Amino acid sequence: MFRIVLKLMLQGVTDIRHHPWIQVLTLAAVTLVAFLGGLFLLVLHNLDQELQRAGGDIQFQVYWQPDTGQDALQSQWAALRELEDLAEIKTFTGDQALDLLMQRLGGTGDFAWLRGNNPLPATALLTFAIQVDDQQAWAEATYLQLASLEGVEKVSFNPLQLDLARGWARFSNQVIWPLILFLGVVLALVVGNTIKLSQLHRRNEVEILRLVGAARWYIQLPMLVSGAVLGLLGGVLALLMLKGVQLSLQDLLHFPPLWLRLEYLPFSQAMAFLAVIVVMGVLSSWVALRET
Amino acid sequence: MISLRHVSFSFGTQWALKNISLEIGKGDFLFLVGPSGAGKTTLLRLLHGAIPLKRGQGTVAGFDLHTLKAGRIHLLRREVSVVFQDFKILPERTVFANVALALDVRNMPRTHSERRVRAVLRGLDLEAKAHIPCAQLSGGEQQRVAIARAVVVGPQLLLADEPTGNLDRELAMRLMSIFLQFHAHGTTIVLATHNQEILACVPDAKILHLEDGTVHWTNWTMHAAS
Repeated sequence: MFRIVLKLMLQGVTDIRHHPWIQVLTLAAVTLVAFLGGLFLLVLHNLDQELQRAGGDIQFQVYWQPDTGQDALQSQWAALRELEDLAEIKTFTGDQALDLLMQRLGGTGDFAWLRGNNPLPATALLTFAIQVDDQQAWAEATYLQLASLEGVEKVSFNPLQLDLARGWARFSNQVIWPLILFLGVVLALVVGNTIKLSQLHRRNEVEILRLVGAARWYIQLPMLVSGAVLGLLGGVLALLMLKGVQLSLQDLLHFPPLWLRLEYLPFSQAMAFLAVIVVMGVLSSWVALRET
Repeated sequence: MISLRHVSFSFGTQWALKNISLEIGKGDFLFLVGPSGAGKTTLLRLLHGAIPLKRGQGTVAGFDLHTLKAGRIHLLRREVSVVFQDFKILPERTVFANVALALDVRNMPRTHSERRVRAVLRGLDLEAKAHIPCAQLSGGEQQRVAIARAVVVGPQLLLADEPTGNLDRELAMRLMSIFLQFHAHGTTIVLATHNQEILACVPDAKILHLEDGTVHWTNWTMHAAS
C-alpha cells in the first residue's frame, strides 16, 4: 500500500510534464501573484518593525537614594535585567553618571572636584518593548514594582511614550494586521483559483480514470500532490524573488535622517507565507476534482 | 449479467427511460438501436454507474445498482468496460500508456501489465504504434486504442456507445470483427448504434429497439418484461 501511495505521489509530480505549457504558465501566475503579495507583506513587515522601534517602546528612569550600597544596587540591577518585555537597560553609578556628564560636555567642564561629594544618584534607564493590550495598567503596575524596590527614591516615565505606544498598538491592530489578513485572503483566492483552473484542464483525464475503474483516492492523490508542488514551487520562487528585491533595495533608504534598512521576512512569516500557498494549491485541486 | 426491472430515469421533468425491463445473460451480444434521443446512451450510462438508478431495480455483473454506493462504483467499472464514439483517450499520451492505464488503476505489476498490453495491441494491429502519442493516430486507430483499453482488463461486460459512428464503412466492419473476436471469447457485449448495416454482422445477436425511452420492440421474448 505504501508503495502505491508513493507511486501516486511521484505520479503527481511527473504528471506536470503532460501539459508543460499550462503548468509553466500556472507556475508563472502563482509565482507573480505570490511575489506581489510577498512584496506587500515585506513592506508591511518593515513598516511594523520601524514603527515598533520608533514608538512601541516605553522608558522608565529609576533613581536610587545616594546612600544605597553598591552590593544592593548590583543585585537589584541583576533582577531588573530579568524583567519581562525589557528591551534594554542602561545603569549608572553616581560616578559613572558624572563621567558621562563630563564626556557629553566635551571636556569644557571639570567636575573632578565633585568625586568625593557627588550629588548625582545611581540610576537605571529601562526600555520596554511591550506586547500587552492594556498598556495603562501595565505601566502603572511596572511603576509600582520599580518604586517599591529597596532604596529607590524616584521613578519617572514619559506618559507621551505610553500614548505613542498605545497609538501604535491600535494602528497595528486595526490597520496593519487586518491588511495582512486581507492580503492573505486575496493571495489565497488568486493562487487557489489559478491552480484550480489549471487542474480543470485535466477534466478529461479524471473522467477517463473514473471510466476505467480508478478508486477515488487513486485519482485524488496525484492531483493534490500536483497542486501542492505547483504551490510550493511558486511560493519558493516568489520568496527567492523577494530576497533579490530585499538585497538590492536594503540600503536604498539608509541615509540620514531616515536610516531605514529593508529587512527580509522573518523565517516564521516566510514559512507561513509558503504554507498558505501550498495549502491553497492542495485545496484548489480538491475543489477542481469535485467540480469534474 | 444484466437484469433490469421497471427502470425509469429522468433528467428533471424529461423522462429518458420509462419502465425498462431487461435480462441479458453471460456471453450475449445485444444491439441497442433506435433514433437519437431514444435513451440508448442513458441506458448505457446507467449500466456502468455514470448515472444513479433511482427508480426500479437493476443488477449488472453482480452489483446491485440501486444500493451501489458512490465509493464502490469503481468496483463495478472494473467489471464493465465502455467504448465511446468520441474515444475518450488521452491524446498527449502514447498508445501503450492509454491502454496500460486500465491496468495501472488496478495496481497490476508492470511486467504483467506490459505483457497483456502488448498482446492486446498485437491483436488489434497496433503494436507498431505502441509508443506514438494518440494525437498522431487516425480516427480508426484511436477507436481501436479505446477498444484495446476496454478489453485489456478482460471485462465481464463490454458496453459500446456508437463505436462506429465516426468511422467509414470499411473501418466500421473491421471494428465489428474485433468485437466479434472478443464475443467469441465469452465477453458479453452491449452495443448501441443506429447503423442498421452492422446489425447483420452478428446474426444471433439480440436487438432491442428503444424509442422515447421505452422498449419499442425486441427480436426475442423478454421473460422479465413488465
